[in-house]
Amino acid sequence: MENEEEAALSSSPNPLDVDPALQKKHQSMLDRLTNRHQTRLGSSLTRRSAESDSSSSPSFESTSTFLSRFSNSKSSIESQLAQCRFGLSESTQVKPQLDQISSSISDLEKLVAENSYFLPSYEVRSSLKTISDLRQSLEILSSELLPKKKFAFKNKPTRKDPIFESKEQEEEKKPEKPGFRVPESPGFWNKKGEILVHKFKGSELGEFTIADLDSCEVRLTGSVRALFVHRLRNCKVYTGPVTGSVLIDGVERCVFIMASHQIRIHNAKRSDFYLRVRSRPIIEDSCGVRFAPYCLSYQGIEDELREASLDGETKNWSNVDDFLWLRAVQSPNWSILPEDERVGLVDISNSEES
Amino acid sequence: MLFGREQMGLLSIIRKIKRKEKEIRILMVGLDNSGKTTIVLRINGEDTSVVSPTLGFNIKTITYQKYTLNIWDVGGQKTIRSYWRNYFEQTDGLVWVVDSSDLRRLDDCKMELDNLLKEERLSGSSLLILANKQDIKGALTPEEIAKVLNLEAMDKTRHWEIVGCSAYTGDGLLEGFDWLVQDIASRIYVLD
Repeated sequence: MENEEEAALSSSPNPLDVDPALQKKHQSMLDRLTNRHQTRLGSSLTRRSAESDSSSSPSFESTSTFLSRFSNSKSSIESQLAQCRFGLSESTQVKPQLDQISSSISDLEKLVAENSYFLPSYEVRSSLKTISDLRQSLEILSSELLPKKKFAFKNKPTRKDPIFESKEQEEEKKPEKPGFRVPESPGFWNKKGEILVHKFKGSELGEFTIADLDSCEVRLTGSVRALFVHRLRNCKVYTGPVTGSVLIDGVERCVFIMASHQIRIHNAKRSDFYLRVRSRPIIEDSCGVRFAPYCLSYQGIEDELREASLDGETKNWSNVDDFLWLRAVQSPNWSILPEDERVGLVDISNSEES
Repeated sequence: MLFGREQMGLLSIIRKIKRKEKEIRILMVGLDNSGKTTIVLRINGEDTSVVSPTLGFNIKTITYQKYTLNIWDVGGQKTIRSYWRNYFEQTDGLVWVVDSSDLRRLDDCKMELDNLLKEERLSGSSLLILANKQDIKGALTPEEIAKVLNLEAMDKTRHWEIVGCSAYTGDGLLEGFDWLVQDIASRIYVLD
């Protein structure tokens, strides 16, 4: 996508990007354009006076007339922009010149608006795009040539006393600068080589996070609404029903046995997933991940699964969508774990809560 | 720039009158796992018990009051976020869905929203932020989400609102969409 954008940018005729070697040639072209612009200004003035006696309406109901008028104005504005950029005018002239360009752009916008009712929508869109591009070039140019002016303009208050308001804004922003302190969510964080056990009671239907674990075994029993798994290495994770979704990001050489309504797996490497899931599990930026059916056992798990509507096997554990492999053929990033390599039923009945 | 926006508004009025349809085009975006598809299914009264992560997009046409809402629900997985731009054209209303319980990715959420709001083609659209999953214990409140996303610092010309909701229970969804439709209708169908 980005390449396309670059290609589009470089192919569009932009008078502002000039090879230094071509500078001289460009200069003479600018002079010609300026001359043409002067004559055009004259003719547009006469045209305007003709319009003011309302004999000719600003709209002429012909797309080609509109387009030629539009492109004339456009190239005139472009040449004015280029003129400012290469410092052809006196420095005292820059400000009025920029204002003049700005009002030319507004006129052009008005032209589009007045004629939009008969123009094909493509022309309206592309004209508006051109206008916004011109505006942007003007803004960039203004900020280069008149940095102070722009600053003053931006801070210009609409109603209130300027000093009062700017103080007020500063005060408002100060407490926000360091960012809102996000509370830590419940979970297991930063552990190595431990067995971590947690039992969710019926009442606490919150979220739970397991993050930054190395060589740990995590046993979660009971129901939980949402589970976040982040940065795990060489871990085993066993869970009862998750009634919302599981979000996994950044795991390596891990084994997961989990039941959930939704499962998303990001940045997983060489890991096995034994799943029961009501929807299709997805993987993104992952490789070497293998899937098999859920195989967990502990006291009361059947009731918990039933209450969470996760009691029936849906076969969805094998309906994996790989967001980096949108083709009909099997993704090379995941596979079904061969039956003879699966772990068999894992029983975590006698776990002491940590 | 304000002048430019007004003109865009004028153009959309002309376009709508020309079509003589009371259509409103709504784009739903947000990070993956924020609940976009579930929200759309819920407001359309459909079953939400089996929802797979969206690979691509879904379109729902819903009649809402006297308007026809065309809701584009676009997948939020990282790899397909770059395709969001294909749906920007002629968007009247933007719905940004936040998983209020996903504390770790709030920075990502803010970054993606900021990028989206820079988009010129969306500059005229009303913005509804749905702070979803309010039913989950530990979820941030809409006020907290507004602070994290620094919504007060948004461009003053933007019409926006943040509403807490739960696609799971349905709470807050109608309130949010009522605001969005009213705001768009008063802008686009002002000549009614």
